[in-house]
Formats: sequence, C-alpha cells, structure tokens
Amino acid sequence: MSYYFVIIGTKDNPLFEHEFGTYRQGGDGISRFREDTRHMNQFVAHASLDILEEVQWAGGQMYLKTIDRYPPTGSTISAFITAANAKFLLLHQPNNISTTSNPSSLTANRNAPTSTTPAATDEAIKNFFNDVYDSWVKTIMNPFWRVDTPVRSPVFRSRVAASAKKYL
Amino acid sequence: MTPSQDATPIPLPITAPALSGIDESIKLPRRRAQSPGASLASLPDRRSSPSLSSLFASTSSLAGSRPGSGTSTPTASTIPSSVFSPVSRSNGAPFPGPGFEGTEELRNLISRSFAPHVGVLASEDTEELVQQKGFQGGLLDLIRPFGEHITGKLAIRDSNGSSKVVDDFGIRFMGLKDGLGYPSFPRKSAEGVYDSTNRELNSGKPSDRWSRTGGDISHIEEAVGRHIAYAEMQNTGSISDYFNSRNISSAGWEASPFYALYLRRLLSGLPLVPHETFSHPVACVIAISSHSTSPIEELRRLYTSTNISDSRLPQWVNNEFLRYYVLLHDEDNDDIKQSMGLYEQMKRNFGLHCHLLRIRSAQAVPSDDESVRIPLCEWMSASEELAEIEKREAADDDVDPTPCIFESDATAIRSFVRELVASSIVPLMERMCAQWNEQILSRRKGLSGRFMSLSKRWTPFGASSRNSSGPMSGGSSNYDSLQGFYKPDTPEALMRKLADYAFMLRDYKLAQSTYDVLRSDFNSDKAWTYYAGASEMVAIAALMTPNNMSSKARIENIDQFLEASSYSYVTRSAAPYYALRTLALGLELLRLRGSSAADDAARWASRILESRLVGPIGHALFTERVSASYGCRRGVGNLNSGSRTRKSALWALLATSEWIALEKTDLAEKALHRACALYGVLPGAFEDTPVDIKEAEDGVDKLGLPMRAYPLAFGEMKAHIDSLREALSEQRRMADGYDDMAETLMPADDEELEVEDVISESLTVNARPNRKSLIGAQMPFGVDVAPLSPVRTRDEGEEGFTESDKIL
Repeated sequence: MSYYFVIIGTKDNPLFEHEFGTYRQGGDGISRFREDTRHMNQFVAHASLDILEEVQWAGGQMYLKTIDRYPPTGSTISAFITAANAKFLLLHQPNNISTTSNPSSLTANRNAPTSTTPAATDEAIKNFFNDVYDSWVKTIMNPFWRVDTPVRSPVFRSRVAASAKKYL
Repeated sequence: MTPSQDATPIPLPITAPALSGIDESIKLPRRRAQSPGASLASLPDRRSSPSLSSLFASTSSLAGSRPGSGTSTPTASTIPSSVFSPVSRSNGAPFPGPGFEGTEELRNLISRSFAPHVGVLASEDTEELVQQKGFQGGLLDLIRPFGEHITGKLAIRDSNGSSKVVDDFGIRFMGLKDGLGYPSFPRKSAEGVYDSTNRELNSGKPSDRWSRTGGDISHIEEAVGRHIAYAEMQNTGSISDYFNSRNISSAGWEASPFYALYLRRLLSGLPLVPHETFSHPVACVIAISSHSTSPIEELRRLYTSTNISDSRLPQWVNNEFLRYYVLLHDEDNDDIKQSMGLYEQMKRNFGLHCHLLRIRSAQAVPSDDESVRIPLCEWMSASEELAEIEKREAADDDVDPTPCIFESDATAIRSFVRELVASSIVPLMERMCAQWNEQILSRRKGLSGRFMSLSKRWTPFGASSRNSSGPMSGGSSNYDSLQGFYKPDTPEALMRKLADYAFMLRDYKLAQSTYDVLRSDFNSDKAWTYYAGASEMVAIAALMTPNNMSSKARIENIDQFLEASSYSYVTRSAAPYYALRTLALGLELLRLRGSSAADDAARWASRILESRLVGPIGHALFTERVSASYGCRRGVGNLNSGSRTRKSALWALLATSEWIALEKTDLAEKALHRACALYGVLPGAFEDTPVDIKEAEDGVDKLGLPMRAYPLAFGEMKAHIDSLREALSEQRRMADGYDDMAETLMPADDEELEVEDVISESLTVNARPNRKSLIGAQMPFGVDVAPLSPVRTRDEGEEGFTESDKIL
C-alpha cells in the first residue's frame, strides 16, 4: 500500500502533506505511487472533500471511515475531521497494480498483498488518525501558528512518520 | 484562430501520403486547388463540401437547409447547415436535436429508439421499378426514411383502456433478415485500405445487409470520431456553436452533440437476437408492382417464402407476424383502372391489410421544381453511416448523391406509412398485448400461476430437470438450454414479446410488471442472457415511468437490476454491446431524476469506464458524462452541502487529458475550460483564444454553484492544470501553424507516430501534432489494426483502451 496523507484547512488549502508507504509485510515505508498517476493524488483528495462535507453532518464522529474511492487508480480515501474543521485525508492505494494498466477495484484488491481484513485496516487507520490528531493539536498550540497556514514543523512531520510506521 | 487562417485550405499533398499510410485515417473532402491565404481563392475548395457536409448534417438531423441544387456555388447556407448547428434541425422535424437540452429529449430518444420493426419483401419487378427511380437498394431504401417518423398524431390505447396521443411514433423498415449475423463491415483489405469495391453499387448484398445491423461498439466509435474530426475541421469557419460557445453551464456542457450521436448510434440498428424481440418483425410488407404479369401468384410466392424458404427467419423468431400487401402502381406507364381492379382482387383475397401505392417510375432530377430530396435516415446504424461517408468521399463529386423523388410520391409514401401504422400495426400490437395479457400474464400472475411456478421450483422433479441440461419438452422448464433460447410459442417467449410490445407502445407500467415476472422465471431457468435482458428492461421501464421515484428503496431496486443485468451481459453472455446499452441508458435516465440520483448516475458512468466497454472516444465522452452527472447535483442550504463541484471538476479535467491524448483540441479546450471554471482558476493562458472572464463567471453562476470562494491552493494541481493548458495551446499552435509549415516541408513521415508517443508528446512541451492530427488520423484505436471490439480487447490485453489511463 502507498499512502498520501494531507491535512486540509478550512479554505480547502493544504496545511500539511506527507507521502509514505506501508511498513507491513516487509514494506520499507516508501510510497510507490505510479509515476503517471502520482499527480492525481491531490486531485482525488480534493474531490473527496465534496463527499466529506456531506457526510460530516451525518454523525458526531470525528473519524468518518472510508468516504470515497477513485476507481481509475484503485485509490480509497479515509477521512477524519478535527474540532477546528481541519480535515485529515488519507489516500491509500494498493501497490502492485502498476503492471496492470487499468486496475478495476476488484482485481486491485485481489492482487494487493493485504493479509489484513478490511476491519483491521479500518482500525489501523483510525488509530493512525487519532495519533496524528494528538500531535496535530500539540503542534498548532504553538502561539505563532495562525489558522489555515501550512505547518512546516519537522518535529510534526517526524511524528506523523512515526505514527505511520506504528500503525500502517 | 483568425479568419485568414481559417480560409486556408488544407493542401492535399500533405495529407495524401498519410492517408494511404494509415488505414483508419479520415478522408476529408478533397481540396483540389492549392491557393492558401486569400479567402476568395479558397472558395472553390469548399465546393466539394456540400455532398459530405450534408451527410454529416444528416446524421444528426434531417438536414433541412441543404441547398436544393447541390452543386454550383457553396452558398453561405451550405456550411451553417452542416455540422451540428441548430439551424439544421429547424426544419419541422420534431425529433430531438443533436444535444439534449431538456429532460424530455432524452426520454423521447429512448422511446423512439425502441420502435416496431417492419420487414420489407418486394418482388423483383417492384425492385426494378424502384431502382429506375434511382434507389439502388430497392423499395426498402425508398420507404425507409419515411417510416422513422409518422406524420400526425397517433392514439394508442394502453392495457387499462385509456388512450394516449403520441406524435413521434415511428417504425423501422428493414430487410427481413437485416438484424441477423454480426456486422462484417468495414472490412479491411491487406493494404489496410477500405475495401470499397464490393459495395459500390449495392451489388454486394451481404455486406450491404449487415451494415444495417448495429451493435458494434467499434463502429460507433469510429463514426463519432469522424463526426468530431469533421466538426473540428469545420470549426475553423466558426460555425460550430458547440465549440464556440464558452458557456459552461450544465446545459451547455451536457448538450454535447457527439455524445448524443453516440447514444443514437448505440440505439440504432438493434441486432436480431433471441433474448429480446424489439427487432423481431411485427409485420412484413410484401410488395408487388403493376408490372407483374401474374400478381396474385407472385404475392402467394412471396408469402410462402416468408414461411419456408430462405426468407424464413430463424426458429426463435415468432413467425406469426402480420403480412401487409402492397401494390405498387406505376403512374407513368400503367393503367390505373387495371390496378384498381387488381387491388380489389387483393382485398378480396387477403383481407384488409392491403394498400395501393401510386408512385411514378420516372427518376426525379434535383433541378425539377417538384422534386424533393429524400430525407436521410436518422436511425441508420453506425456501420451504415461509415459506409455512406466512405462512399461519398470515394465518389468525389460535387453532387449530393441523395436521390430525389417527386413531391407527389413523397406524399403517397407518407400516407401509406401512416395507414400501415395507424390502421394495421398499432391495432395489431394493442390486440396482441390485450390477448397475451389476458391469456398468459394474468394466468401466470394469478394464484394458480404462482403456485405452478412455486411447485416448478420446489418439487424434486422440477429441481432435477432444471439442473440437467437437455432440451425439455413439456417439462418444467421451457428453456432450451442446449441451443439457448425459448421456442416462440412458450409462455416465456410470448410474455417477453408482450412486454416488448407494451414498451414499444409506451405502456411502461405493463412492460415493467411483465419484465419483472420474466426476471424471476429466467433466473430460475438459468437463462442468463434472457435474464440480463429482462433486468435491463425492467430498470429502464421503471425509469421511463414518469412518476417520481423518490423512495430510496426503489432506487436501490434499480441499482440491483442494472447491476444484475450488466453483470450477466458481460460475464455470462459476453455481450458488451448490451451491457453498454444498459448502463448508458440507466445512467442517462438516472441523471434525469435530478439531484438525488446524480451520484448513482455518476457511479454507473464510471462503471462503464471501469469495465472497459468503450473505446477511447467513448471513454472520453463518458468521462465527460461523469463530470456532467456530478455537475447536476445541487447542494442544499447555505453550506451548499452535497454539491459535487470538485468531483465534477476532477472528471472534467480527466476528460481534458483524454481529449488531448486523442488530439481533439477543441473538445479538450472545452473540457479544460469547464474544469478551470469549476476549480475557480479562470483560464488566462489561452493566448490565442482569449476567454471572456466575465462570461465564464456567468457560466458558473448559471450552474447554480457558488463561485469558488477559495482559490485552488494545491500547488501540484495548479501545476498540472497549467501543464495541460500548455500542452493544449501547443497543440493548437501546431495545428494553426501547420499551414505555413506545410509550404516548405512535407513532414509526411512525422505522421506515423506511435500511440504512446502521441500521448507523451502531447503532454510535454515539444509536442509536434499538426493539422493532420486534428483531422483525426491518429485516433489511437485507428493505429490498432484490430477491430476494436471490447470483447477482443478484454481477451487480447490492454492495448486498445488503456492509453488514456496511462496518462491519468
């Protein structure tokens, strides 16, 4: 699995972006998006805000689970919304579909080396989000941070990477 | 692009080597003179366009403003009437125009596309008589265009006895065996050039006949591709409203004439298959002429030939259709008294289903006052259209080859068709509906019928015989699983016929309930193709019912039907054409349901893309469709929650890159413009096509969407959009600059670009597309020599359809 994690502010602006790969099944934590579709990640994440804005009113949870998928690359998007209306989006895409030219989601799932069940993945993502949320709150408590400005803290980045390593 | 460049003709020598090199290339009207620059000098070059442009016009509408005398001077009206301008559909023909402006047009398109089919069988002297008039295809060619629209209103009674007035009813005349067999045209000879010899004079009957069969997706793609190429070429003359309108409101976006054409071709020429009876003949016109010496015997011979000899349809077609006897009277040569006597005799022998058709045998010349051009068929199949385009390009003359007939003949044929429909076909269908409804359907639906079907399913006998695979005679299942059809006299086949008749008579409620009963029957018989067909039609009938279907449960039902149908068509029956039809109709009808069903529509559209049912052009068109579907979803409240602006923008952008890959610059620009407007980054990068920003803003307002309050903040997204813009303007510049370049060098070898090269180049700065590519010779599937059937692609791997994915 390859992951693209983005925190989006209240004005649809990205505050923080991070790309990583899975550490499970001997993964090395390096993302392997297909080069030709890598630029689509932002588009897909951005498009899923439509769905997010709709489902955020449906319940009181902060973790919104999988909200969207993008069949052409077999990507799925999970979302988490913070109390201050910052949105965490995690785009995950199975890895070894790069050889087949048009992954339908079915085959992609079959080929993906995931021994984990969907429920377990879901739980892992939830934990990841919670962990990141924790560090996020701590980071933006910095008095010099203003709402909707990008976060450039290397400490925060390393914490996100650590959470990713821990859960994904 | 400036007018002076527009007027520049495309010099032939540059395109010629490429044309011979690449077989699928699109030939444009030959330009003879080589006088670039001056607009006056280029006028003669346009001279050859009437014949072809009328064809392109005719495919989307019955061209009304076609010049009467075809040749001499290309008047201003020649070109505007050509491609898809609204002018050409204002000639009183009440069918929907090229695009769908409202919801009704699409509904009409669908209800008109499932029309009763009527076979035509004529004696030899009749065919000779008609051929004298200039119709090589005989009687069928003469009357076919008139069957597509019946003049006047028609009252149809539905199963409840209430009658309903329909004013756009039509029938399809066909050769009796037209729908059989898979279309074999266009064939390519070894050199890769179209083998056009065997259909020159319609002597090659087989290819001519098969070309009337639709159902081949690759042909549809090709036909639409030619239309796009033609429209883009004509666009230089600033006549194509579609390209030039910068209106990105949902209406402007959705009225893509090419998509409408795609749908229409998808629904034209339904093949004759066991699992649906739409294309099975409802009636057969048996025609003799007054030239005949022994007319009654001739009629008998023709009648028996429909029953036993070579005109007999396969055994899964119900052969008990109506025979309608027509006497063609030759006004010029024969005595009307004699014919009247003969006609009386026919009436006595055959009953009421007779008609005396009085036409003149002389050939009408276009310059004559009384002559009218025969309208072109609106519902010709894609392969037929391709054949027609080919023929006209090959003919290379200035005359519009559409034959003319006398005004009086046209009137006579119209009234003949009207009488045939109003007093024979519709009453017959109504009667059969009522009869079958009473005798079969109500029995099946009633208590005993339910019990029977239950016992059939659960008794051990039923179970065992159901699972064994042998032809059951009178057993529990009527399905002949060895040959894969129901005999036409079994209750299932008759019920399917009932449902189809009801659908064609636009009694959607009855049709829906019947299809629903059939679904379960077919399912328990494991007749998968039939099952898929019934599921498809139950969903479409339900969506065609005008009542509002707000309840969630019903939408879910429809989902389930569509899912079952497309799955069965693709996986169990390997019938991608039908799957595409199912999904496309389902998606369009769902989209018409408005906001609540827009997500579903978009989902089905992307399902079409995922399942790779379509070729590159279809892929791009359906990508636009996804965008349009999302675009018609409105948000609610101040937060505008639930709108799908961003998704719509994303898919519009995807469509852009697909059109770029196909080198359809105009369409790509249009898609990009929409994407940019939705993303809130207004295009300023089109140096050569300056965009009125205010207009674009209006467009967004018209969409009913908020102007994007937040500018696009993602850096890579902006960069990507910019790179697309750059690629596009590069493509445009090359296309424009081509004329100048052409004078000095002949880059003939540049044409043979690999598909991948085209794509990568179009996305990088050193793109080298040129005018020829605008013409469309490099449609990626054109380079692929294999005919692009989706089944094939599925088998052969991923070459044909996927390059568009690679660039995503």
